[in-house]
Amino acid sequence: MSKSFKSFAVTLVLLAAVVVPACQKKKPVVAPSATATVAPATIPDVPLTVTTATVQTVTEPTDFVKTNTDVTTETLPNDIGELNRVAQSRGYIADAFFEYNDSSLSSDAQTALTNSATWLKKNGQYNLLIEGHCDERGTEQYNLALGDRRANQAKEYLVTLGVDAARIRTVSYGEERPFDPGHDESAWSKNRRDHLVLVGR
Amino acid sequence: MKRTTSLLALLFSIAAMPLASQTQIHPEIDPSKAIQIARIAIPRPETTLPLETINAPFFAPLTRDLAYSGVFAIAPIPPNIPAGVDLAKAAGAQFVLSLKLDQVGEDFNIDARLLDSTGATQFGKRYRGGSAALPRIAHMLGNDLVRFVNGKPGIFLSMIGFASNRTGNFEIWLMDWDGSNQRQITRHNALSILPSWSADNERMVYTSFARGTSDMYIINRRGGARTHVATGLNLNTSATFSPISNDIAFVGSVAGNPDIYVVKDDGTNLRRLTHDSSIESTPEWSPNGRQISFTSGRSGSPQIYTMDAEGSNVQRISFEGEWNDDATWSPDGSQIAYTSRVNGRFQIRIADLANHQSRILAGEGSNEQPAWSPDGKWIAFQSNRSGTWQIYRMRVDGTDLLQLTFERENKDPDWSKKGD
Repeated sequence: MSKSFKSFAVTLVLLAAVVVPACQKKKPVVAPSATATVAPATIPDVPLTVTTATVQTVTEPTDFVKTNTDVTTETLPNDIGELNRVAQSRGYIADAFFEYNDSSLSSDAQTALTNSATWLKKNGQYNLLIEGHCDERGTEQYNLALGDRRANQAKEYLVTLGVDAARIRTVSYGEERPFDPGHDESAWSKNRRDHLVLVGR
Repeated sequence: MKRTTSLLALLFSIAAMPLASQTQIHPEIDPSKAIQIARIAIPRPETTLPLETINAPFFAPLTRDLAYSGVFAIAPIPPNIPAGVDLAKAAGAQFVLSLKLDQVGEDFNIDARLLDSTGATQFGKRYRGGSAALPRIAHMLGNDLVRFVNGKPGIFLSMIGFASNRTGNFEIWLMDWDGSNQRQITRHNALSILPSWSADNERMVYTSFARGTSDMYIINRRGGARTHVATGLNLNTSATFSPISNDIAFVGSVAGNPDIYVVKDDGTNLRRLTHDSSIESTPEWSPNGRQISFTSGRSGSPQIYTMDAEGSNVQRISFEGEWNDDATWSPDGSQIAYTSRVNGRFQIRIADLANHQSRILAGEGSNEQPAWSPDGKWIAFQSNRSGTWQIYRMRVDGTDLLQLTFERENKDPDWSKKGD
């Protein structure tokens, strides 16, 4: 291997080491056009083997998925509040949203509940509280009843998907506890929901 | 002209009591009712006590009560004329209220006499109580004077139950009819809302989330244990005492179907009154206990209906507005006040049950949850016109608006059924 080729290869590796992770990291924030113009210009004639080796070097210690597929279940926090935060943020359980003065489950709501049912069936150590919520545009008393209906729509759906009905309680807060205190559709759409809360058995 | 005179009269009497609460007083008396209104002169009480000790707790609330009574108009008082014929003549008053106060130990003695224009005593009564009882004595005397003149019970000892979050969670509170004496009744440290009075003014039934779900509770306003009324159903909201029995109407839910139910106050004898698959809510008894109004979504939007107390004979009452709720019957049973959305905002609407004519009492912001005074002349309601939810009072014609609460947020007013 000649000296010039060696230094060329090192340069390539260095470039790739800088560019590839940079592209991966920035993917969510940097506009696609920026990466598209940089990447092809920097590594025009890279042999396939060199690129592969470089990528393997960079990502080598981070792949845990293959080694232990049960890790998510085992690392759930003991604190129930923290558990709910984690379960919501990872999408294990997801709230269902409603149209104005309506308690029927949209396809989005059904998807959220289907995912939640899948997780609940795998994690029988938790029960579920479904809180029905409404936006502020109705009246307090009628909205308490509407929230009850919303919560029970979700309960029935989860039961049809195989979740034991005895594990699910419902409560309606009507318009008493909005998630967003605003007074526009952006806030209202967040406030018309079934909020799913994991509780201990 | 009459309106101007009575306003002048009030301003004059306010000037004569420097320590009284001077804001928010603007009575407007309907000229058509002027013939029923008696002009009354109220000179300063005769007493050796410093005026400031009796003004705020006694004289000011008494004067306010009479100014708002719809029975009396307060006449301007020329200075330095003692209670008697001369004062009646100088003030052009039909009545002069003579008040004498003295203190015996901790107690105050209040000697009240209503003199006619000839100086003869038409009504006389002595009241006695500690300093904490002075506002109550003012309201009692006001009621006595109203009853003497028109033969009907006054409302000055009525109370308004409501929910306030000024201690953190919403809890049940009470205030006197004029907004004074606001006191906390429940301490669940949990969302507690929608109080409703019993016919005897002794108890309130309400909803609390103290156990994590919404449950029905009864509390005695004089204190003592609160009772959890277990119905076996979900929701247990909008609970309201029958005016003629120990029954409580409320919204119960089974499997997400809210309906109107009735249960005895000890939790027995549960009965289901509505059987529709739509949402039913917000029951309220007619004053004779024979009918119940409620809200139903069966037409596609929340509307007001009435039914007989056993659930039969359902009739729709509201036809205007795409969202109506919170129906409540006038004490004589001839009208229903409810919350009605008009042009995107909730307003108080009053509908005549005989001819189905209705009128809107328009105000700024959203205005909800009307409650009738025991004499049917006033409506308490909640409004967010100030930017927060507060409780207001107005006459049924929309005049004499007065804000009653100011601290944090306050809602769900319910006026006691008796005021004397």
